[in-house]
Amino acid sequence: MSLLAPVTRPLDATQAAHLLRRATFGPNAAQIRQFTGMSAANAVALLLADLPVPAHPPHPNGGGEWHGNPFSQMDEGPRTNSLKGWWTGLMASNEAPNVREKMVLFWQNHFVSTFQVVNDARFMYLQNQVMRRHALGNFRQFVIDITKDAAMLIYLNGNGNVAGRPNQNYARELQELFTIGRGNYTEDDVQAAARVLTGWRVSGYRNETSGAINVTFNAAQHDTGNKQFSASYQNRVIQGRRDANAGDTELAELVDMILAQPEAARFICRKLYRWFINFDITAQIEQEFIRPLADQFRQNQFNIKGVLETMFRSQHFYDAAVRGAIIRSPMELVIGTLRAFNQTPPEVTNVAPFFQYTNYVWQRSRELQMDLMDQPTVFGWRPYYDTGFYEIWISSTTLALRNSFSDQMVTGNFRVGSNRLGIDSIAAAQAAADPTDAEKLVDHFDNLLLAVDLTKAQKDFLIDTIMVNNLPRYEWTNEWNEFTRNPNNNTRRMSVKMKLDSLLTYILRLAEYQMC
Amino acid sequence: MKRRDFLTAATSSFFLPVMLDGYGAKAFSPTSPFMRALAEVAEATDRILVVVQLSGGNDGINTTPPLDQLEVYLRNNFRPGVAIPENRILRLNGQNTVGLHPAMTAMQRMYNEGQLSIIQGVSYPQPNLSHFRANDIWFTASDSNRFETTGWLGRYLDDRFPRYPAAFPTAQMPDPLAIQIGAIPTTTLLGDNTSMAVVFQDPDAFARLVGDKPNVPDTATTPGYAGDRIKFIRQQQVTSVAYAGQIRTAAGKGRNQATYPTNNGLANQLRIVARLIHGGLQTKVYYVTIGGFDTHAAQTDANDPTTGAHANLLRNVSEGIAAFQNDLKMLGVDDKVVGMTFSEFGRTAVANGTRGTDHASAAVQFVFGKHLKGGLIGRSPNLSDLVNNNQLRMQFDFRQIYSTMLRDWFATPTSDANALLFKEFGTLPIFSDIVTGFDEPLFNTKNLRMYPNPTSATLVIENDALANSAGAVRIVDLAGREVLRQELTSGQRKVQMDVQQLPAGNYIVQVQAGQKSFSGQVSVMH
Repeated sequence: MSLLAPVTRPLDATQAAHLLRRATFGPNAAQIRQFTGMSAANAVALLLADLPVPAHPPHPNGGGEWHGNPFSQMDEGPRTNSLKGWWTGLMASNEAPNVREKMVLFWQNHFVSTFQVVNDARFMYLQNQVMRRHALGNFRQFVIDITKDAAMLIYLNGNGNVAGRPNQNYARELQELFTIGRGNYTEDDVQAAARVLTGWRVSGYRNETSGAINVTFNAAQHDTGNKQFSASYQNRVIQGRRDANAGDTELAELVDMILAQPEAARFICRKLYRWFINFDITAQIEQEFIRPLADQFRQNQFNIKGVLETMFRSQHFYDAAVRGAIIRSPMELVIGTLRAFNQTPPEVTNVAPFFQYTNYVWQRSRELQMDLMDQPTVFGWRPYYDTGFYEIWISSTTLALRNSFSDQMVTGNFRVGSNRLGIDSIAAAQAAADPTDAEKLVDHFDNLLLAVDLTKAQKDFLIDTIMVNNLPRYEWTNEWNEFTRNPNNNTRRMSVKMKLDSLLTYILRLAEYQMC
Repeated sequence: MKRRDFLTAATSSFFLPVMLDGYGAKAFSPTSPFMRALAEVAEATDRILVVVQLSGGNDGINTTPPLDQLEVYLRNNFRPGVAIPENRILRLNGQNTVGLHPAMTAMQRMYNEGQLSIIQGVSYPQPNLSHFRANDIWFTASDSNRFETTGWLGRYLDDRFPRYPAAFPTAQMPDPLAIQIGAIPTTTLLGDNTSMAVVFQDPDAFARLVGDKPNVPDTATTPGYAGDRIKFIRQQQVTSVAYAGQIRTAAGKGRNQATYPTNNGLANQLRIVARLIHGGLQTKVYYVTIGGFDTHAAQTDANDPTTGAHANLLRNVSEGIAAFQNDLKMLGVDDKVVGMTFSEFGRTAVANGTRGTDHASAAVQFVFGKHLKGGLIGRSPNLSDLVNNNQLRMQFDFRQIYSTMLRDWFATPTSDANALLFKEFGTLPIFSDIVTGFDEPLFNTKNLRMYPNPTSATLVIENDALANSAGAVRIVDLAGREVLRQELTSGQRKVQMDVQQLPAGNYIVQVQAGQKSFSGQVSVMH
C-alpha cells in the first residue's frame, strides 16, 4: 500500500514542475512558481477542478456554428479543421492548469473513433462532447454512453449489428480494448456480446438535408434469445428481451457483468498509469499501486476523478525514478513548448489567427505521427500499448522533425496574424529569478523545460561554449546588465538575444527535452 | 566536445560513435553461439527482402476466390453482396481451383509469368483474432501463447550484424541494415537493443532534415527509466546522422524506369525502395505498409461486389507490386530482390449483415520475385469445412514462409534459422531450384572441410559422405545463378573445384550428397 500513500510535505519546484508536466500539457515559469510550496492535496484539487463547458467550435470561415447543420461534403474539410483546431486550442490555452483536456485526449485514445472512418465531423464533435462530459466522471455510465454514441456506432459497425447477422466488431473491442483486456474473455463471449448489442441504429449520418442526429433502439432488429457467457464471466446468461427497453436493459447488464470482474478496473488503472506515470508495470507496481487503486475505483462506483486524485497525490508519482520516464507525445511536445514560452492561442473568437495557430500545432503533431482523432487503428497510438512503448514515437525521421520544430520555435518565422509564433528568448530569460547569472539562468531553463537534471558537463558546455563562447562567465552578466540598462539599444538587445536563441536551440534539441 | 568537432564527426563517412560518450561505451553481450557462423555465411549474400504489410486482416477468400467451390461461395446466404460473380473471377494459367479478384489483373500477369507464388491457408495454431495480438505474433514469430519482444527480421539482422548500432556503419556495411518507409518503427524489425531499421517517408527530405544540426555533448549517465530513454534517443540521433549521407547518395544515384500507378500509397513506397536499391544501397530488408483491410462493413459497393473498398485495396496491392517488379527488371536488379506480403489474419467465410466480414484465421499470402517456382502452394480453402463456425482451416504455419526466406533466400543455415524462429519449421517450395538445396539433415559442418578460403585457384571440399552418395557440389553467385558444378564421384571423399575463371567476389557453395546438404560461403580473390 505504501506506493499509494500520499505525500505530505509541500511540493518543491521539481515536484511542482513534474506534476504540471504530467497532469497537463506543460507549465510555464509562473505556474511552476505558483505550485511550488503548495501541498499536493491543494495542487491536485486545483488541477482537478471542474471547468465550464466550452462554447461550440466555430467555422474557420466566418466563425458561425456548424454542429447542428446538415452534413455537407463540401464543408467537411473546414469542419474537420474546425474541430481539430478547436480542441487543440483547448489543450494549448493555459490560464489555469487543469487536467481535463489531457484526460479527454486519454479517453479519445481509449474509445477510439476517427475522422478517417466516421467521415462526419458533426458525429466526431458529439463524441468529443461525450468524452469531455465523462472525462473525470463515472466510468460505468461513460461505457454505456459511448456504446450508444453515434460516431462509435459507425466506427465499430454497431449500426450494422442485427439479429441473425451479428457484426462482432464493437463487441470484441468493448472487451479487448475498452473495459477488460485480452485474455479475460473468450471468442464465445465476443459472439454473445455482439448479440446483446444488436438493434442500435443511427439516423442522420451524412444526411445532407437535416441536421438531426439520433441513436435509437430498434427492437425488431434485436436478438431476443438468451446470451450465454463463458466461465470468464461465471457462465452468466443475459436474458433475451423483446420490449422497447431491451437494448438499454441488456446493455446495462452487459456492462455491469464486465465491470464486476476485478480485472476491468485494473485494466483501466494500468492504462492511466501508462498515460500519466510510466510504461513499466512491474510485479511490485501491480501489487502495490494498480491493485489497490483498482479496488478504490470499484469501491467508488468507478469514479474517475477519485482515481486521478489518489494517483497524483501518491508518493510513487513523485518518485525520482519515474521522472523523465515518458517520451513526450507529439501533442505534449508541441503544445508543451508553446505553453512553456507563453505562446498560447489567440482568442477562439478571433477566427483567422486562432485557426492559423491551431492548424500549425496539430499539423506538426500529425507529421510526428499523432494525428488528432485519427489514430491508425482502434488500438490507439502504438506508444501507449505496444512493445517499446513511448520509444515508438521516436524514429530517425520523427526525431529530426522534432528538432526542426524546436528550431523553428526559436527562429520564430511562422506568423499568426500579425504576430510571430515562436519563443521570445529575452522574455523567457526575464522570467527567471536571476537572469544575470548564467548558471542560475541555465538552471532555470533546466527546471522549466527538462524533466531530468542536466549534468555539470552539459551545463558547462551550454554556458561556456554556447553562451559566452569560452570567455569568462561574468561576460554574460555584463552583457545582460548592459542590455537592461539600454533596453532600446538594438545592438545590446541582439547581442543577448543571439546567445539566448542559441542556448535554447541547444536545450530544445537535447534528448532530455523529448522526455517528461 | 566542441560543436565543430561534432559536426566534423557527423559528416565524415565513417562516423565514430565512440566520440559520443554513452554510445561507444555501450556494452553488448557476447555474440550468440550461431552468430559467427551466421555472419560467415550470410555475409555472402547481397539479397534483399521486401516485406509488404497488409494491415487490418485481408479477406483472403475474395482475394483468391475458390473456383472449385463456387456453389458454396456463391450461395445466397454465404456472402450475399460480397462474393465475386463467377464470370468476373480472374483465371490463372494451369489453375482451376482458385482465381484472383477482378481488381488484380496486374498480379494475374505476374502469376502467369511465374513471378508470383500464392500460399493458401496461412495461419498458426490457436490463432488470435485481436489485431494487436495477431500482429505481434506475426511480427515476432512467436507461438500464440508466448510473448516475444523482438521481431523476426530484427533478430535476423541483429545476429547477422552483431554490435549494431554501436559499431556501425562499417566499411563493409556502410548502409542501413533495414529501411522502413513510414514513420513509426515496426516490431518486425526490432532487435534486442533497438530497431534495426532507419525509418523515413522520403529519402530526399530525410537527408536534408537530419543534415548538420547542432547537438550537445552526451555526458549524462542518468540511471533508470529516464537514462534508458536518453540513451535510446541519442542512439537514434547518431544513427540518423550516420546514415543520412548514404541515403542521400543512393537516392541521388537511383532512378525509376517503370511507370507506377498514381494515387497508390503502396506504389509510392515501393517506388522509393526500387530507387534506393538501384542507387546501390546494400540494405537487406525493406518494409512497407498498406492499411485499411479491416473490412467489417461495406467492403464491396452495394450494387457491385467487384468494386468498393476491398477492390481498391487489392488493386493498389496488385498494381503497386507489379510496377515494382517491372521496375526492378528494367533496372537490372530483379535478381537480388524477393518480396512477401503478410496480413495479421483473414476474415470470416460467411459475410456479416453489413456487406463486410469479421476477423478469422487462415488466409492467403503472396511471394513475388524473379527466382520463384511460382504457382499455388496449398489447396483452395475448403469452404465446407470451417472451424469455429466460420473460419478456414490452416494449411501452413506463417513461420514456414519465414523459415523459407531465412534459409532459401538469405542462405541462413538451418540450425540458425530454427534458432531465430524458436523452432524448426522447414521450408515451402517457393524458390526455384537454383537457390534451394538446404534440406535436412545437414552435414556436421565440423566434419565438412572447405579450403582454402579465401581462395584464388582451387577450392577443396572434403567429407566422408561425399564418397558414397550421389549428388553434386555447386557454386552459386550472389544472384543465385549457378556458376560451377561438379558431380560427386563414387569413392572420392574430396571434391576439387577450379575457381580461377570466376570473377573475384563472394559465392555460396552448396553441397548435396544423398539426403544431406550443406551450404557455406567462399571468397574468391585474384
